Amino acid sequence: MTANEKLSILADAAKYDVSCSSSGSARSGDKTMLGNTAMPGICHSYSDDGRCISLLKILFTNKCIYDCSYCINRQSNAEMPRAEFTPDEVVDLTIGFYRRNYIEGLFLSSGVVRNPNYTMELLLLVVKKLRAARFNGYVHLKGIPGADHMLIEEAGKYVDRMSINIELPTTQSLRLLAPEKKRLDMIAPMGFIKEKMSEYKALGRQFKNAPTFVPAGQSTQLIVGATADPDYKIIKISEALYKRMALKRVYYSSYVPVGRTAITVGPSIDLLKREHRIYQADWLLRYYGFTADEILTPESPNLDMDVDPKCQWALRNLHLFPMDVNRVTFLELLRIPGVGNVTARRIMAARRFGPLHFDALKKMGVVMKRAKYFITCSGKPFGASDMDPFRLKQLMLDAPKPLNNQLSLYELYPGQFGGNQNGLRI
Amino acid sequence: MVYVYDGSLEGAFSAIYQMFHDKGDVNSHTLVASEGLQYAIFEPVKTCETQPEWSNKVVQSILDTFGPEAFRRIGYAYLSEDAAFGTKLYRCLKRAYKLGERAMENLSDPDILALYKCYNAVARESHSMMGLIRFSELNKGIYYAHFEPTYDLLGLVIPHFKARLADQIWVIHDTKRKKAAFYNKETVHISDLDDVGALDFSSVEMDFQKMWRTYFDHIAIIERKNPKLQQQKMPKKYWKFLTEKDLSKNLLK
Ligand code: SF4
Repeated sequence: MTANEKLSILADAAKYDVSCSSSGSARSGDKTMLGNTAMPGICHSYSDDGRCISLLKILFTNKCIYDCSYCINRQSNAEMPRAEFTPDEVVDLTIGFYRRNYIEGLFLSSGVVRNPNYTMELLLLVVKKLRAARFNGYVHLKGIPGADHMLIEEAGKYVDRMSINIELPTTQSLRLLAPEKKRLDMIAPMGFIKEKMSEYKALGRQFKNAPTFVPAGQSTQLIVGATADPDYKIIKISEALYKRMALKRVYYSSYVPVGRTAITVGPSIDLLKREHRIYQADWLLRYYGFTADEILTPESPNLDMDVDPKCQWALRNLHLFPMDVNRVTFLELLRIPGVGNVTARRIMAARRFGPLHFDALKKMGVVMKRAKYFITCSGKPFGASDMDPFRLKQLMLDAPKPLNNQLSLYELYPGQFGGNQNGLRI
Repeated sequence: MVYVYDGSLEGAFSAIYQMFHDKGDVNSHTLVASEGLQYAIFEPVKTCETQPEWSNKVVQSILDTFGPEAFRRIGYAYLSEDAAFGTKLYRCLKRAYKLGERAMENLSDPDILALYKCYNAVARESHSMMGLIRFSELNKGIYYAHFEPTYDLLGLVIPHFKARLADQIWVIHDTKRKKAAFYNKETVHISDLDDVGALDFSSVEMDFQKMWRTYFDHIAIIERKNPKLQQQKMPKKYWKFLTEKDLSKNLLK
């Protein structure tokens, strides 16, 4: 099989893995090395589905001894063509692409061949060879659950980021869909990587030439929509991962049924839309100082598909509004629907020169369509001080839909209409 | 009064020096580059000479008053090649000197915002160019890239590629402005460069291009095709320079 044929199979096999970010690491090289890493991350292209292509994202092999039912590479998916790279092929491909500025680096993952340790050793060999070839670009390596911690530690010295996919939000769903995988096999190495990261950081402070360890931190991925787990559970887990495991990112991948024995579950709401709303909620956790319990509650455990999570929060907390953009703090600005991080910073900077008016806010990036119901400028309302949540929500919808489309009122307002989800504990 | 400068940044600063010196209401003056000058019937025209001494005074004053970041933004805005750059710069500075130290951050002011927008457009495009520039390997181990950015940003992407592709010889060619940056593993120099004609590729170049297209095709989730989003993120005007999107090359496949 040619490298090109392998590439077509092993890129196909990797494409449902969503994390493709090259940010979070800034490392310069020298004149004898190829590559560096750039802090904000760079997109090199956008594939036909509109996603950013930043890294060469491939599996080392899509052969797998396991049978996780949500995964196209599961052993029982017989019609799947299989391939396996050699370490040198991966090295040549990565360097060849990098020199042509196609990519920021490599994102290497793999199906499990023979056993986790054997697979992890193969991946380790690839990254070692890559660095030996003086490749200094970004490398994101998947840690294989169940592999020896020694191998994980060794690999961590060669890569920028490591991730161990947690895949499913609950132990029950994992038992159901990936019976061979153990929750602990995923959580334990995360904790281990976290510990090692701080150990090596301390070393780095003491000795200038100490090796680095996963300098861009670790991430993970959760599959959304393969089980009936509500959004509340998902963002509660993410919150815990950010806080306790110090993860840099949690990625969410909406489940794509693939192959003949694909599972089908859950309500048929637009999965992509749901994924989008979960990313917005995740954003609120990471950059806007929200807690999971502010975003959702056990009583209304699912995100509203019609308005974004910040709006949902604002509609539940109308007593905090309107806020006066010329007076409130930065953190309060961030809580206003239609005001983003950059805009909030611009407002803070411009406020020093005098009070702002509505027309200036608009030019500075405030989305007035949403914000106008929630703000005043030096005491003056925009003229839209209609504070009834039901009407407000209708007013803010992107494209107002007739009320009697597929979604019932019950689904739209589970809180108000007695919606209840059982077993909400993590 | 219409002030006219020679189109260089130094020229613009020299003219600004005169305009501030001449005083007068902000709305009564405009500043245009000589090649963009429309025949002005109703207004007096004053052609300004480029005087390094005046220009330096303005630069120093901007640095002292507003700091290096503000100056960097003005430089970027100049590269936008915006026909109204001169007037925007003049109006922005007029306002900024009234407001003082951190004035350039005051985006609620329309004149400061106008110049900021020029800066921001250039900053954005140069960031995306760091991703979209494509090199091909030529016969003698030279990596060649051509592109036609909307703004004149060749100089802005050089440091990035110098740091990143440090161990290879490369050329980045702006075919619209007919100039190129040459890197020889040590230093970069910029000079004029016309059409380079047919290129002599290395023996493996076509293999890599083919594999990149394979990768590009297979990494997309077909069930979720989204050409609108793709074009919004990666405007069509750039496609002819992209290995994965260039239609003429795809026809050869
Ligand atoms: S172990 Fe990984 S590759 Fe193998 S079936 Fe499970 S998810 Fe897929």
